[in-house]
Amino acid sequence: MGYIKDEIPQTMMVEGDWQVGAYRYKANRLLEEYTQGLKQKKIIGSLCLGCGKVIVPPRAICGRCHRRQEERREVSPIGTITCFVISPPVVRGKYKLFGLDPVDTGALKEGEILVPCFVRFDGSDSNVACLLLNADPQKVFIGMRVKAVWAEKLEGKMSDLEGVEPLEK
Amino acid sequence: METKSNVITVQGLPIVVANFNWSVGFQMERFLKALGNKKILSAKCPECGYTYVPARNRCGKCYARMDEKDLVEISGKGILLSYTRAYVELDGKGNWIDLKEPKIIGAIKLDGADSTLFMPLGEVQFENLKIGMLVEPVWNSELKGSWKDIKYYKPASA
Amino acid sequence: MRNTAIIGCGQTPHRARRRDVSVAELVSEAVSAALEDAGITMKDVDCIFSGNMQGFGGIAQPDLWLGDWIGAPGKPAIRIATGGTTGGSVAHGALYAVASGMYDIALAVAWEKHSDSKEAGATTGLAHVGMGNLFHALSYGLSLKNLIATTAVGAAAGVAVYQARFYMHRSGATIEHLDMVAAKDRRNAAKNPYAHLRWPNCQPEDIAKTEMIAYPFRYGHVCPASDGASCIVVAEEKLAKKLCKKPAWLLGLASYSDEENQLQSENYGGVGVLDPSEQMGCRVSAKKAYAMAGITDPQKEIDLAEIYQPFPSQELIFAERLGLFDDGTAWRYLEKGETDINGSMPTDLSGGVNATNAIGSSALQRVLECALQIMGKAGEHQAAKPVHKAIAHGWGGVTNYITVTILGDSPR
Repeated sequence: MGYIKDEIPQTMMVEGDWQVGAYRYKANRLLEEYTQGLKQKKIIGSLCLGCGKVIVPPRAICGRCHRRQEERREVSPIGTITCFVISPPVVRGKYKLFGLDPVDTGALKEGEILVPCFVRFDGSDSNVACLLLNADPQKVFIGMRVKAVWAEKLEGKMSDLEGVEPLEK
Repeated sequence: METKSNVITVQGLPIVVANFNWSVGFQMERFLKALGNKKILSAKCPECGYTYVPARNRCGKCYARMDEKDLVEISGKGILLSYTRAYVELDGKGNWIDLKEPKIIGAIKLDGADSTLFMPLGEVQFENLKIGMLVEPVWNSELKGSWKDIKYYKPASA
Repeated sequence: MRNTAIIGCGQTPHRARRRDVSVAELVSEAVSAALEDAGITMKDVDCIFSGNMQGFGGIAQPDLWLGDWIGAPGKPAIRIATGGTTGGSVAHGALYAVASGMYDIALAVAWEKHSDSKEAGATTGLAHVGMGNLFHALSYGLSLKNLIATTAVGAAAGVAVYQARFYMHRSGATIEHLDMVAAKDRRNAAKNPYAHLRWPNCQPEDIAKTEMIAYPFRYGHVCPASDGASCIVVAEEKLAKKLCKKPAWLLGLASYSDEENQLQSENYGGVGVLDPSEQMGCRVSAKKAYAMAGITDPQKEIDLAEIYQPFPSQELIFAERLGLFDDGTAWRYLEKGETDINGSMPTDLSGGVNATNAIGSSALQRVLECALQIMGKAGEHQAAKPVHKAIAHGWGGVTNYITVTILGDSPR
């Protein structure tokens, strides 16, 4: 590549680490409500009585009206892709996150092509980030209709909603 | 307000660690290498005379540059300004560790410099420490050109 | 609000690894250069605004630690951190301080030293931002595959990939246009000794040869992680006229923040965020800034823009959102060369963030570069046409922070 490169002298380095995992965060129980809904193949959102928006997963406070979100609505498991990304085939040893390789941990398979996407389920006013499964990456488009794919065993976890797949084959 | 039962605790994963290697720059590198030769270097500002330990390349008082030519060796001896005894330590992961032996730490005003250093104090009983007493560095037998080359400070023989 | 101007600019060369200096030395290099350019000493400075991103350099509260490296002792010194717009907010802090009448001379300095982190690119900083949410979702059984796919693959370029897709979808721009923008930026950066990715005479074909990361972004499109610092000196009218031959006057400014989970809900305009390239915040901020500056037709009245564009698609998206081109047409002007150094709307002649990204410093550099262009001090990358009014833009967070600053060659 034709970039201009400079020779820059190096001085000694002092090593150290930041224990990013050594924190005890506090959270509310909204994700628990959401995952319990997933266990029953229900996708739950909060309805704001001020502006009428339905946000999935449920939120504690509406970002516009600042009202507490007491109401819940179930949204459809069918939705529309609003945007997506197509990854290149996964290569082992190419990327590490905090010293972990995705292929070594068993999370991804070598050569796999991932299509993370944002889906707006019918009845919801927000996008949910998930994976597009069982689809030809070349045939994905914004506006594509999809439906939820549920895990074989429902355990009340985020992974109960495995992803979405095209509505039409 | 959330009631107590509505709040849960989420524990971070202990494997998630971010690692750093901070460059020290030329003046600090000279300072650290000199420690490997049992020398303590200060940087004296050519404009206002304020003298820093460890050595640095910019005066915090008058903003003048300082370089290799402004390095002045000092004896390393100093006066004990203050001291304390610590019974616990942190492990860097949010946990307290009870020390088997309490550690004595002193604030030392170095002779020939305007800086104060915080150093462990050794070869002395806590009860015998006095503010204003003269102290001097004790070096490690193995020198690596790092802060750890100074083992601790002890009362000086004057 | 009284008249305020930028009277001095200083930067360090931005490089991949400035391991010859500690971060304090790096920052003081930029401050010293700015003071020299302004013709003042540290004694003349009344207050200081500093900023960098948290986490990336591994130093908590750096403003406290390197306070006496930036002249803070004895003066009010405030650190500002607003994600990618940190530099823009730092500039705004100094401009607010002087324009309000509170202080006469203010210093604004911003920096980033990525090389102090062992993790690749800006991973530490990006990852720790969402740590609490990540651990929370993991504790509810988010699958590792999903986590890696949506964060690592998506975060390889982040929300910008989705944003680019949307823009291309509705405007008709193609990946070739992204190649053209990246090539233009790196070609112009070669004329800027302080920039990082300098490729003399870079052509779109050179960029097109690089590997694809996640469509439509290639390696050749993505900004670097640079080490560097930049600094400006801001003064009130009387002092500015006395000290500086051709100050860069503040005409208008605005900034805007929104909810963090914007991609998953809706934006300030009440429009559901279907389109991350929609950037309502940028439109609102530009409108406010133009009103303050008395500009009614930005397409005619603005001569030059420095847009915050870590990704080439953003140079096109934000140029339209700032009102410099009609919706969906920016790529047509790019094709004609109008956004290049000899064009009618030169954009990012410094190379922009695409060629240089020390995150904390980046948005401040946009203000600094506009000032240099107005003062006529941009050297080899000075625009061919005279620059009377220039607009500097900053973007940050998860599409939710914007800063807009408009400078001119005569006071309001």
